This record gives sequence, structure tokens and C-alpha cells, in this order.
Amino acid sequence: MAQAAPPATAGRPAAAPAGDVVLRTFGLSKRYGRRLALDRLDLEVRRGRIYGFLGPNGAGKTTAISLLLGLLHPSGGHAELFGLDSRTHLPAALRRVGAVVEGQAYYPLLSGRENLQIWAALYGDRAERRIDQVLDLVGLTTRARDRVRTYSQGMKQRLGLAAALLHDPELLVLDEPTNGLDPAGMREFRDLIKELGRAGRTVFVSSHLLGEVEQICDDVGIVKEGRLLTEGPVAELLRRGEALEMQVTDTDAAVAVLRGLDWVRAVTCEDDRLLVDAPRERAAELSRALAERQIYLSELRPREGSLEDFFLEVTGEESSDD
Amino acid sequence: MTSLLRAELLKIRKRWLPYILFLVMVAGVSVIVWLGGYAEWRQSQDFETERLGLHTFAFPWSLVALLDSGQFWGSFLVGILVASAVATEYNWGTVRQALIRGQTRSQYLTVKLLGAALLSAIILLAALAVGVALSLLASALADQPVTLDVPGGPSPFEVVLSVLRAGYGILPYALLAFGLTVISRSTAMGVAGILVFLIGEAILITILGGLGGPAPTIRAALIGHNVSALLAANVIGPGEYNAIAFREFPVASELPAPATAALVIALYCAALLAITYAIFQRRDLGVEAGGG
Repeated sequence: MAQAAPPATAGRPAAAPAGDVVLRTFGLSKRYGRRLALDRLDLEVRRGRIYGFLGPNGAGKTTAISLLLGLLHPSGGHAELFGLDSRTHLPAALRRVGAVVEGQAYYPLLSGRENLQIWAALYGDRAERRIDQVLDLVGLTTRARDRVRTYSQGMKQRLGLAAALLHDPELLVLDEPTNGLDPAGMREFRDLIKELGRAGRTVFVSSHLLGEVEQICDDVGIVKEGRLLTEGPVAELLRRGEALEMQVTDTDAAVAVLRGLDWVRAVTCEDDRLLVDAPRERAAELSRALAERQIYLSELRPREGSLEDFFLEVTGEESSDD
Repeated sequence: MTSLLRAELLKIRKRWLPYILFLVMVAGVSVIVWLGGYAEWRQSQDFETERLGLHTFAFPWSLVALLDSGQFWGSFLVGILVASAVATEYNWGTVRQALIRGQTRSQYLTVKLLGAALLSAIILLAALAVGVALSLLASALADQPVTLDVPGGPSPFEVVLSVLRAGYGILPYALLAFGLTVISRSTAMGVAGILVFLIGEAILITILGGLGGPAPTIRAALIGHNVSALLAANVIGPGEYNAIAFREFPVASELPAPATAALVIALYCAALLAITYAIFQRRDLGVEAGGG
């Protein structure tokens, strides 16, 4: 088996203190016969952060989550949850995790409340006492006594989240939580996740939707064909895509001037516009440098970076957002 | 564990299957008492038929006939209940939901098994109670005294022991259905497997009984033969009875000692449990294997 290059890290702090890391994987791999579904995954999720696990369908996201939750046996490597080795302490670690996995399932003959009672039985009295609270949080109080088979997909997803929150977990693992939801449902669900993140809960959420990750996540790991391509804070990745867009009186002369500035990383021409890869806060300096050479700006504006650009850059995909 | 069992029972009791199985068992005990016993006794022309009918419906002999048939059909019906309880969790994907909440795989299987065992015990005992009630009614109609004090009659303790023996005879078949379902993840496989095994084994035991050479040794190792040994210990006096079980009337002289039979059955149970737990422990539970 060829050794894969280690994933790039975009601005990740060198090493987080052990207590600060909630989830960490060490060369986690899964092989199905000849197919390598997950290839030596090394990632780190820090306390209080929302981590987006981003990748196209079939990239290995669900496999990774199933391995973390003990549903699949790894072909290599292991994971640590709260510093506990999953090979020896998985049940204890999972009691501190709430998860919504792909193919979320329920007892269709039971009501939403009864489904929660079933799951609460695994955690004890405290979880049982929280049933009303979590039903209220996900907005299912009025339908709690109806059989789950009468629920819409969105309601089922919300019930899944309620079940995951029953025992007030330290870490929430969500596998494609907005799959199958209509736009309003997706937005509602994202708001819920953001709210949980604001409340200080650590969330690990997988998605193939770039916009979703960009909107709700603090950190992102990009996975493709079973390999983690890069990971880091979303803000930092977006900053990497930032640029200053300008129109000047003399384009060629401006390019020469700009390339002479050591803090300008790159200059590209797009028609009669210049795209300057430079820190936004140095826009005034840039303007002065051009003016000193009698080159004047007719337009200058910052261009936002997008996760989509970054995703396309690291994955080489043409388009992936839905 | 109590709360897990309570949750398990909540899941099962909301389904139709346990109630249907109970009704089937009640229908079975009614057939034994009224058709196989009382009606045959009323229409009997000779002493042998009259005694056969009487020992089927009249208390306390009826207990033996009810337990014999109950063990056979109970094995099948408990097999259905166990197979359904296990396989629907795969079909609904809820097995994954339990495991991601920190329930260990062995704990999951144990709760499933205990829940099904508890519910089965309730159904079987309730059906037996109905059978005994019908037997008491039939005994009264036939002007038969209702007493345990008959030649070779059991003490109350022996009655309890008889019930336990019949229940113990159901255990290996229930575990077989449990194992088949856990391995195949299919109710149909569990149910078909137990049905084929019960009938096939009964035929095999009959065939082996008529052969020489190593046949008796092979027969002695079969579950059904050892279950018959347990049931033979329940027989009251020398009398035979009518039962609706696909096997020969258990005659103690051809069978191993009940203690030996109990040990053989225990070994089967241990082996079936070990195989089932080992397979489930190593199994990958991806979305396609029970994610709904």
C-alpha cells in the first residue's frame, strides 16, 4: 500500500492541549475487499468548535463516522474520544457522544416520546427527565404523542437530534443531517446546529454541501476518495481566497508596481481588472504605491474568499455544491 | 438493566405479534383439551380410548399433554417471536441506534434475549393457565375429581418442575432461531430455519430409532431426543395421552436420564450463544446492514 502524503493543514495550531481535543483519529482506515474506503484519516476536533467534515458523496464521510461510533471495525488505526482509546473504552466514550447517523431509524409503531423513552433508558433517569426539554428544543412538543410513521422527513430528523441530545452530550456527531430536508427544513436545522455551537457544544458534522459547512462551521476537514486533503479553521481558509479587485488607469504598469511589493502574493489580470492576492488591510498602502507612479485607481474593492473556491482548488472538482 | 428491559418490553408489546402468538397457543390448548381429550373420551367405545381421552383433558394428567404440546409448538412460536424481535431491529435500523449510544454489543444481545424470554414466558404461562382452566372445566363436566392425589400424581413442587422442564426444552430452539436471525438479519430465515429444524429433527430421530450401528449414539446427541427425555420425566403414571407434537410419545426407558439430557441441552445452548455473540461482535453494521 502506497504511503499517502500527509494532509495539508490550513492554519491549524500545532498541537492543541490534550484536554482541549475531543476527538482525534490516528491513521484510521477501512478497507472493503480491494476497495479502500478510508485511508489513514488523521483529524482533530477541538472542544467547543463546530467541525465540518466536507466531501463529495462517497468520499468516506459516513464510513469515518461509522468507525468513530463503533458500527464498523477499522482495518487500521484507531480513534480517541475525550482522550479515551476507542479500541478499549468505546462504550464509555460513546456515552458522552450524541449522534445522528445516516439512515436515522426509529420505531415506527411508537410515538416520538416513546422513541425517546426507549433511548433514554440507555442513559438513566436524567435523560428521561430531559425528554420534554429536548422535544421543546427541536419543536416537536405538539406532535410528541403521534406515531413516528406519521412524521415528515424533517420531523424525523429533528426527532433524531432530540434523541442525540437526550443525555446532554459533550460531543454531537451529525452525519449529513440536512439530507432529505426541504430548504426551509435545512435552514431550520442549520440554525439549530449553530445554536448548539453557540451554547459551547462541540459538533462534528459531515456534509457534501459547501454552503452548509461555510455557514455553520468553525473548522473544516475536506475528504475525497477516503483521504483527508486538508483541514483548518474555515475563517482562515476563506481568508486564503480573499483578494483585492481593482481597475486602474494603466494596467501593465500597475502589474509591474504591484509585483514589486513583497507583501503582494500574486497579481492576475481578468479582462481590464486586476486581482491582487494581498492582505485587505494593506489596501491604502497599495493605493499609495500606485499613486506614487502616477497610476490611479478607478475602482477598488475587496473580494471575499469562498469555501467553494478552496474546495475546488484542493479537490480538483469542477463543482460540488448543491 | 431493569430500565433497558422495560424499554425492550415497551417495543414488543406495541406490536401485534405477541397477541397473535398468544391466541394461537390458546387455540392449541383448546384443541388438546376439547378435541383431543373431552370429545374423544365422550365418544370412546373401549377402555383404552377412554383412558387416552381422560388423560388428555382431566386434571392433573392434562398438565403433561399441555406441556408436551406446549413445548413443541412453543418452540416454534417463541422462535417466531425471537426472530421477529431481532430482525425488525435490523429492518428498522434501530440496532445501530442502540450501539451508537454506548450499549455494548453483548449487552444489546442480552437485553434482546431477556426481553424476548420474558415476554415468551408470560405468553406461554398465560396460555398454560388457559389450558389448565379449560381442563378444570372439562374435568367438572366429566364429573372427574380435581386433585393432584392420583396414582403417580405430582406434588405442587413437581408441577412447577414439570413446567420448568418444558420451558427448558424450548430454550435451545429459541436460541437457534435467535442465532439464525442474528446471522441472517432476516425474520424469514429465523422462522423457516426453526420450522425446518424442528420437523426435520423429529423425522431424523424417528429414522435413527429404527437403525442399528452408530444411529442410537447420534440420536442421543440430538436436541429433540434430550428434550423428550425431559418431557418423559413429566409423565404421570403409566398412562399415555394425546398431544399435538410431531414426535413419538416419550417413553423413559428409551431415553437418557433427565439430568444427562439437561446437560446436553445446556451444552447446545452455550454453543449457540457463543456462536451468535461472536458473530455479532465482529460484524460491521453499515447503513446497508440496518441503517433503515
